[in-house]
Amino acid sequence: MKQQFLLLFCLFFSLTTLSFAQVTDSTTTDEEDYDQYGDVEYADGTATKTYANARIVGTAPQRFVSVGWDWQAPYTMQLSNIGSYAEDADLPPNQFATGDVVYTGGLRLTANIPVISRNTFIWQLGGNYWETGYKINNIQGDSSAVGVMNELNTKGLRTTGINSTLYKPLNEYQFILVQGSLDMSGDYDLSLQSQARFSLAALWGKRPHDRLQWAVGLSRTFRVGGMNYIPIFMYNWTSLDRKWGIEALLPARGAVRYNFSGTSLMMAGFELEGQSYRIDKFSDIPAGTSQSLEIRRGEIRPRLEYQRQLYGFFWIGAQVGYRLNYIYNADYLPEGKEFFRGFFGKQPYAMLNTLGNTPYVNLTINFVSP
Amino acid sequence: MKKTLFSTLFLLFSAVLLQGFYPAQEVEADMLVGVWEPSHGKARVKIEKIADKYYGKIVWLKEPIDPATNAAKVDKNNPDESMRQVPLKGYRLLKDFTYAGKGEWVDGTIYDPENGNNYSCVIKAKDANTLDIRGYIGVKTFGRTDVWKRVAIKK
Repeated sequence: MKQQFLLLFCLFFSLTTLSFAQVTDSTTTDEEDYDQYGDVEYADGTATKTYANARIVGTAPQRFVSVGWDWQAPYTMQLSNIGSYAEDADLPPNQFATGDVVYTGGLRLTANIPVISRNTFIWQLGGNYWETGYKINNIQGDSSAVGVMNELNTKGLRTTGINSTLYKPLNEYQFILVQGSLDMSGDYDLSLQSQARFSLAALWGKRPHDRLQWAVGLSRTFRVGGMNYIPIFMYNWTSLDRKWGIEALLPARGAVRYNFSGTSLMMAGFELEGQSYRIDKFSDIPAGTSQSLEIRRGEIRPRLEYQRQLYGFFWIGAQVGYRLNYIYNADYLPEGKEFFRGFFGKQPYAMLNTLGNTPYVNLTINFVSP
Repeated sequence: MKKTLFSTLFLLFSAVLLQGFYPAQEVEADMLVGVWEPSHGKARVKIEKIADKYYGKIVWLKEPIDPATNAAKVDKNNPDESMRQVPLKGYRLLKDFTYAGKGEWVDGTIYDPENGNNYSCVIKAKDANTLDIRGYIGVKTFGRTDVWKRVAIKK
């Protein structure tokens, strides 16, 4: 009996030790001559081809999916009657409406899904849905201005869009980045009646090392309300100790970053936000014509942002800042066709509007790629 | 007693023989074993077979000294504080891969010392000397593929 037990034990031991050994530790203790791995040759005769990575170390994690809420503190709104105004015109008395905006805010959903993500090429597809709801009290004033304000009060504004990003490293240090988006912005509901607007940015840049990346390019953008062509400059940098950094895509946004750790950081900076929103009820007037009344919303948001890991690849972001009105005027676009005013164009506006400046808060939960 | 001893040795010998019997698939699976260089060229990883799984450890670093500390690089970004002094050279960053056939190794993880994160990972052989290594989060869509090349120590 003893011998049989010994026999079985030996057999079991030999099989288990040979077949079911597990390695859970990340450290290795075996004696290895690591020096020998410094002098190698490539098995197929061609060396590894290195390409510039799309990111640098230490930056805030990229958001695959983001669900957020944006809220602005109360302020006053003044809209002019619909007409034709030079940018610096004084509004005649009784030609405008005023209201107290006690709520401005809404849901913000964004997604960026990598379709192809290799060291030689990255292609991402994304979508976004942003709401800006209004609650406006004490609306007073003249006819069409009150009408537009009522439309904002009851319907709010929203943007639905898709976007695509292409990143192509040319070699170890240079890259090309192209981003395009197609957005529909307006006071629409389920009908989605709006003009689609496309934005495009193209950059060429260099990534000298793991902590620095810069690029220059040109963009077609609606961030300042109307359509504009703007030179852009990207600059991302992280200090040697990885505590400090800069993340900028000027003039759209820029921030100084401080990393408390690998899972929490603070950013101080600004962002330009804007779109061109069609107001459906005041478009296509008189009946049978096709012209789009569009509010050119552009705002500057100086802000502080705190980001930290919640669990695994889920992070939260909290912004507090000040929303400065850059533009809220409106244009009539015949046939809905966009035109270029730029910073110096003298084309008249259909409405001259002003918003009071106000603090804001933005909270997000994000599924990220660190 | 002699008979029992003989039987024991016979069984042990058989067991070892059984372990040493390599079907064709196992030979194919073991092509993963060797030294590989990621596309960034800053490290080399030796993949070994331990029991029936595959593991990879860093055996060479292009820049072995951390310029911030002027000492050998350690796993300083690891979320586990007790691991932050572990040298990167020798660090096992590929773990638990099993061969699924058709030149693909699955169910493993890859560790990125740059940010201290572990990712799910699949390895696919493009040819005998080239691997596609895809690290991902949850589903393969949320991931990135890197190309690793086989290197051989110069004689």
